[in-house]
Amino acid sequence: MSTIIKATRVSKTYHKTTVPVRAINNLSLNIEEGEFTAIVGPSGCGKTTLLNILGGLDQPTEGKVEVAGTDISNMKDSELIAFRLRNIGFVFQAYNLIPVLTALENVEFIMLLQKRDRKERHDRAMELLGQMDIADKANVKPSQLSGGQQQRVAVARALASKPRFILADEPTANLDSTSTSNLLDLMAKMNREQKATFVFSTHDQRVMDKARRIVTLQDGAIVSDVKRQ
Amino acid sequence: MVMGAMVIGIWALAFAGGFMQSFLTSYIQSAIKHETSNGQVHHPAFTQDYDIQYYIKDYKPILAFLAQTKAVESVTSRSLVNGMISSSRQATGVKIIGVDPEAEAKVTGLNTLVGEGAYFAGISSNPVLIGDKLAEKLKVNVKSKVVLTFQDLEGNITAGRFRVAGILNASSVSISESSAYVLKSDLNRLLNIGDNVHEIAYTTTTGTDDEALARKIQSNFKNDKVESWEEISPALVFMEQMMASMLKILIVIIMSALAFGIVNTMLMAVLERIRELGMLMALGMERSKVFLMIMFETIYLSTVGGPVGLMVGFATVSYLGKTGIDLTDYSEGLEAIGYNSILYPTLQPMDYFQIVIGVVLTAFLASIYPAWKAIKLKPIDALHTV
Repeated sequence: MSTIIKATRVSKTYHKTTVPVRAINNLSLNIEEGEFTAIVGPSGCGKTTLLNILGGLDQPTEGKVEVAGTDISNMKDSELIAFRLRNIGFVFQAYNLIPVLTALENVEFIMLLQKRDRKERHDRAMELLGQMDIADKANVKPSQLSGGQQQRVAVARALASKPRFILADEPTANLDSTSTSNLLDLMAKMNREQKATFVFSTHDQRVMDKARRIVTLQDGAIVSDVKRQ
Repeated sequence: MVMGAMVIGIWALAFAGGFMQSFLTSYIQSAIKHETSNGQVHHPAFTQDYDIQYYIKDYKPILAFLAQTKAVESVTSRSLVNGMISSSRQATGVKIIGVDPEAEAKVTGLNTLVGEGAYFAGISSNPVLIGDKLAEKLKVNVKSKVVLTFQDLEGNITAGRFRVAGILNASSVSISESSAYVLKSDLNRLLNIGDNVHEIAYTTTTGTDDEALARKIQSNFKNDKVESWEEISPALVFMEQMMASMLKILIVIIMSALAFGIVNTMLMAVLERIRELGMLMALGMERSKVFLMIMFETIYLSTVGGPVGLMVGFATVSYLGKTGIDLTDYSEGLEAIGYNSILYPTLQPMDYFQIVIGVVLTAFLASIYPAWKAIKLKPIDALHTV
């Protein structure tokens, strides 16, 4: 397995208040291809900040982040946008689907940004919706889907662009236990069958139980890193 | 909201433009009809000296030419002199106009202004028509005697006893306060100018270029001075230009209000979708595409709202153009300054075209700021906006 993400001595300090806040403190972390990793820890420990930095949505104050060998720490904004489109899939806590598009169109949208042709977009989107067990909802708009179904569309959308890895920030935070279990099973299946690399933040024990690697943060630093078979 | 702003903006522009145009048209048409006509012919020196010796040397060929000219609707000739009008109670200066009643009625509709009495009728000899204000000043009524005094061709003071045949009700100050209309034959006899005239006035058919026609007549009669209404009354041209300027100012005000409405609405649209826009940029949508997306949304709404507003505006102007806007409650004031009390809004096809272009352009410009605000969003901040 090759290293997909390599974070080296990364720190992030916010200066939004009079007292600087160090959200990530000299953190180093490697994520290997095909891993199913949970970043856990109490609220305010830096999980979301770390995910934002790994996903190129935010830049570290110090240190370096390499994704598939490319240093993204000092990339220009326009370069980061293009890089994210090609390499990183995102699943957000609040699903963030485009409300005026159907489930199918939401999944197709990212491939549209990648300028893939219509047939390829349609076929891949339908295939992914099928794998996520919501092919029958392809032509339904997000407002008519349950939270669990919306999040499955979001996972399909994240996979649609064939990213190097998928970042999911508290993907199950808004879901009930059944939906959480279903979503995790599907994500684990995609991880096993398609070797999709998932990195997600959570403080949900059920999610942690499914993860094969658990990185625990406290005060912006890794306090434990456990791999399970 | 944007579509609504578009519809109301275009409708307001069409209505305001049509309404102001009706004011201008009413004023100019009234002035042309009762005062200047579409064009006049004089002896070149007459318009400067206003001396009765400067009559048109040979006016009949001019009348014949005008009668044969297709664009000319009606023609009349007049003899003119400044003098005094006096009653048993008062005397005042007056412009005495000798007219051919039948031709004058066709050109100026003078007969339609008669409020009391009759149009050169009911009086056996030397009838005169005077304005209501002048009649009031002289304290005379229909059939009252007045004396007109002026110099004849030889410079002798001459006077004629006239009887008031009718009293004119006109918005024009010059007609109501300082004009006396007599028969041309009566005046010419007293002036001792034979069958000559000082002025030929003509009206033209709708759509005639009065300026070009005046030049054409002038080229045929080089010894006389032919003027269109624009040259005779520069004040009317000034009025026309002033109204055009006021319309432009009004357009700018309405466009500005429209622009603020669009900016506000589109900013709200951006703020409401801040997470969505953040998500799009997080996924990899380029900022230029986000910018264009907001711009296109506004332009799309404009292109949908534009025709609707245009149709509503066209319907309003067309309907009111037929029925007229009845301002009879303000008729006294309006007529005093030369307007009709019923106004008929009108707009040319080019006006509608300009309105649509103006509104769409305003929408386009107004969408730049919200689009710019959208691309200044940081995905990470936008995604965490509640």
